[in-house]
Amino acid sequence: MRKLSRSVFFIVLLLLSIAPAMAQDTVNLVWYVGLGTGGAPEQREVQEQVVADWNAANPDIQVEIVIVDNAVAVETLATLIATGEAPDIVGPVGNAGSAAFAGNFLDIEPHLETLGYDAYAEFPAEAVDFYRTSEGLIGLPLANFPAFLFYRPGLFDEAGLDYPPSAYGDPYMLEGEEVEWNIDTMSTVAQILTVDENGFDATEDEFDASGIIQWGFVNQWAGAGAMRQNATLHGAGSLIDADGNAQFPDNWRDAFQWFHDAQWSGYFMPNAAQEGSDLLAAGNPFASGNVAMAQSHLWYTCCLEDTEWDAAALPSYNGEITARLHADTFRILNSTENPEAAVEFLTFLVGEASLDLLSVYGGMPARPDDQQAFFDGLDERYTQGVNWDVVRDSLNYPDVPSHEEPLPNNNKANDRLDSFLSLLRSEESVDVQAEIDLLIADLQAIYDE
Amino acid sequence: MASASATPQQQRPIPSFYQRDMRQFALYALVTLFTSMILVAFLTPFAYMFLTSFKTKDQIVDSATGSILPVTNATVTYEGEELPLLIVDMPDGTQQELALLNGRRRDSTFVDPNNLDAEPIEWEGRWRTLKPVTVPEWHPENYAEAWDIANFPRLMFNTVAIAFVGLIGTLISCVMVAYAFARFPIPGKSLIFLVLISTIILPRQVMLVPLFAFFSFIGWTGTWLPLIVPHFFANAYNVFLLRQYFLQLPKDLDEAAMMDGANPVQILLYVIVPQSWPVIISVALFHLVFAWNDYFEPLIYTLGNPNIQPIAVGIQQFNFRYSQQPQLIQATALLGMLVPVILFFLAQRFFMRGVVITGVEK
Amino acid sequence: MQQAIPPPTEGTQRTKTKTKGSNDLIKQQRMWGWFFLSPWIIGFLAFTIVPMIASLVFSFMEFNLARPDEIQWIGLDNYRNLFNDPLFGVSLAVTFRFAIISLPIGMILPIAIAALMNSEYLIGKRFFRTLFYMPYIVPIVSAVYIWQGMLGTETGWLNRVLEWWFGVEGPRWLDSTTWIYPALVIMGLWGIGNAYLITLASMQGVPTQLYEAAKVDGATALRRFYSITLPMISPVVFFNLILSVIGLLRYFEVPFILKSGTGQPGQSTLFYNIHFYKTTFVFLDMGYGSTLAWVLFAITMVLTILLFATARYWVYYASEENVF
Repeated sequence: MRKLSRSVFFIVLLLLSIAPAMAQDTVNLVWYVGLGTGGAPEQREVQEQVVADWNAANPDIQVEIVIVDNAVAVETLATLIATGEAPDIVGPVGNAGSAAFAGNFLDIEPHLETLGYDAYAEFPAEAVDFYRTSEGLIGLPLANFPAFLFYRPGLFDEAGLDYPPSAYGDPYMLEGEEVEWNIDTMSTVAQILTVDENGFDATEDEFDASGIIQWGFVNQWAGAGAMRQNATLHGAGSLIDADGNAQFPDNWRDAFQWFHDAQWSGYFMPNAAQEGSDLLAAGNPFASGNVAMAQSHLWYTCCLEDTEWDAAALPSYNGEITARLHADTFRILNSTENPEAAVEFLTFLVGEASLDLLSVYGGMPARPDDQQAFFDGLDERYTQGVNWDVVRDSLNYPDVPSHEEPLPNNNKANDRLDSFLSLLRSEESVDVQAEIDLLIADLQAIYDE
Repeated sequence: MASASATPQQQRPIPSFYQRDMRQFALYALVTLFTSMILVAFLTPFAYMFLTSFKTKDQIVDSATGSILPVTNATVTYEGEELPLLIVDMPDGTQQELALLNGRRRDSTFVDPNNLDAEPIEWEGRWRTLKPVTVPEWHPENYAEAWDIANFPRLMFNTVAIAFVGLIGTLISCVMVAYAFARFPIPGKSLIFLVLISTIILPRQVMLVPLFAFFSFIGWTGTWLPLIVPHFFANAYNVFLLRQYFLQLPKDLDEAAMMDGANPVQILLYVIVPQSWPVIISVALFHLVFAWNDYFEPLIYTLGNPNIQPIAVGIQQFNFRYSQQPQLIQATALLGMLVPVILFFLAQRFFMRGVVITGVEK
Repeated sequence: MQQAIPPPTEGTQRTKTKTKGSNDLIKQQRMWGWFFLSPWIIGFLAFTIVPMIASLVFSFMEFNLARPDEIQWIGLDNYRNLFNDPLFGVSLAVTFRFAIISLPIGMILPIAIAALMNSEYLIGKRFFRTLFYMPYIVPIVSAVYIWQGMLGTETGWLNRVLEWWFGVEGPRWLDSTTWIYPALVIMGLWGIGNAYLITLASMQGVPTQLYEAAKVDGATALRRFYSITLPMISPVVFFNLILSVIGLLRYFEVPFILKSGTGQPGQSTLFYNIHFYKTTFVFLDMGYGSTLAWVLFAITMVLTILLFATARYWVYYASEENVF
């Protein structure tokens, strides 16, 4: 028996060591895109151009880009790693995407030294140290993506409503009265902005909930793998307690109750069927023009084709504001056969190529000197004059602990979170609190596995 | 019933369409009409696919409440702005086509498209209840876009290559094995045949994990080999179909050839195969359609290598990425089914006969 | 149809070859037989038997490709884990829930369509016959995307028809944990081509004398269908039943493509094979995945044997030439 398991082990070792054949004189690298942003059609061209530029300038290090859809990116990479066909460099990827592969990343510090690259001269020290983990330095800062409130002024005009506050801490004028810009206020405003095909809004008696054609609010692209993004308006939280057991913070219980009610009794948030419908651009609701407000990250500027929107402050919960934060970069897998070349390409991506990439990724540059140029670039695309100050201010309210914090048995745990979210989005008659209790029990089993 | 029909049938007198009996006629009309209605319902999704593939995204959104045809909402240019043209119910009971200048919840401002210089018209009511003025507008360029972005030439090439190499393997191996079962005295033949047939009910999941591990061990994942090589080792359906046919062939010719000193390979090639073209064509068509439509194994074996993916996987990957472009999805769906469906219409006799033999004989 | 081909039996063949001559010839013929059989035998060993044994071995091991350093022999732990894995029960329940809705429809509809096609009052039989079969040829990926549009809540045609003609607000076909099953059944309708065609062929093989005799006795059309057609086509119905049950136990591609393999909404499309796929190819747990595969194999075997055991009570064989 032992002999057998040993031989299987040996087979697997061999299997893992198989690497793509490569030519003698040129180094071939594979850059794997899809774990975070980067998979959208609009972003492919720029990424491919960046690779073409690099390949032209570096005949001895040829890079091939593989772009995989975000929905299957984690499992595809897991399979590639397991079958020994792992790429060399992955990204852009945030904490959520990389949590699945903890332990697989290369410590780039020694290779940076060989190259004579001083990370601290390029970036603020805390931004560099953010990527220092037990595995060593596993990335260089690239971009920050704070969340903020996207809204469509035209739809507010049509409803005769004031725009949401343009700065954190400002009040809101609702029906002539000054009120705090909190989740309750936003919910009321969102209901007025939710309209059926006869033009009645969700606060009116004649409102027909089966014929909604415009919605007040949406958590943009917070579906698969991003269940916790739907909770952070109600403050940060963690699903692991100090002992590593499953828990569910009370403010998140509120958050998901609100989330469910917003869809099934307030009607101002689209449910899964509505969000997937053509009316809401089959899953890209805010871009359809039929949603008045959306919570999303700066990366969403990648893919908004129109200019009928502006940025505003997120609402508070119990007087506290939370603007969840994404920070993305590229990472190198420690299975790479050419760490030196990979690190060199990495420094190119976060250096020379970064502004081109960030303009399509929609990421605020980690290099402070680049930030103005970045927003200037965005202003060229979004000529309406977006309120970028409120975007910058959002950085002051990050969610700690992060909603992207890795969980024990991360992939399975996230899979379970997804099915919880999907249930809330698909069924009206769900006891949210009971489902949360079920979720905790299942998570505990998954953590313990 | 056409005499060329593939399935042998009992000859029954063909009833004259013009029978005097009105009851008969009513029965003909009723049954045919009823069947036609079911057929229309059955095939309507194709119409949905076809029409949707010619729309823009906005037209699809509008079709949620408006026409199912590719139509677009008419607009009027007023002071440099495009205003939507709506059919407005006027206070005097008439309907008028007016352009919406300023939409509000309970009242709105319109301008008259025929008299843009006149005073804007104030109107009481909810503008969202008004129907838009529409004009037909088809977008065949969706197909060019889908063709280019999904890289159809590449997908087609991959699919055809996988299908045809596999086809050669299937034909050679299945003809050989069926010949063995039909003509040779192998000990325990009926038991072996039973084992062959019962592989049909084996869930392939049982074999999948080790095969996947093995193929990745020998470096075949990310290549076409796992999709092609197994076809060189025969499969139950085709062997069954071929065997049934071979059994029907008279043995006299084989025996005559044997007398002339032909060996079994020569008999197979020069006696059996030339008599069996119909069934061989059936098997070939089944394989081509199977290879064209196969999804699961190409998915797991070509993962992470988009350059070698066949059409079914390619379309699905494309649609992951363009899930927000339903018109492109429907265009790819149509492009993807074109080849098998055309093959089917060209050779439906062979298809249906093959199905009938495998089904009824069991 | 069954009469068209003389049933092959070992006996006739053996006597024929024997009359030909010596033992040498038989030996030679046997050698040729094995030679022609060899592709299948090699393939059967390499792609069926050996992998099956290997997966049985895996099912007793901790074998996760993502944790290659932990591979070890763990005996029955994977089988015990079936009871701790909440998704095992969920996925079995999902599969059987769907089967209960889908199986009757998948059995009755092909017979109904075949009966229509076989009606003497249908004009243009060949036209109808071809077009009812045609969707079977459409690649599953295309079919799923077409139906996904058709069944859309807002812009799908089915709900639009329901609203226009009946004034009913259509359900959220694809985004409700209950309506997803009828939706999947509707999508499955395009797959009836094979079943209906062989049913039709079998109906056409029923000797007309039987009907004529019954007519003389004054049996109604319904009675004739029930008492003559159904028993006469029962072997084909049985064949369809076996294939349907096996198909349901393997059901994977439609929900996988439709929901990107997530098993959503909720866990309502977490079919057994999607759970297997996720375990094996997403979480890379080859050991437990093999256990799931073997459990599926066992279920398939048990059901098939049960079905064959019941067959003698309701399947009518005209002659003794049972195929197997």
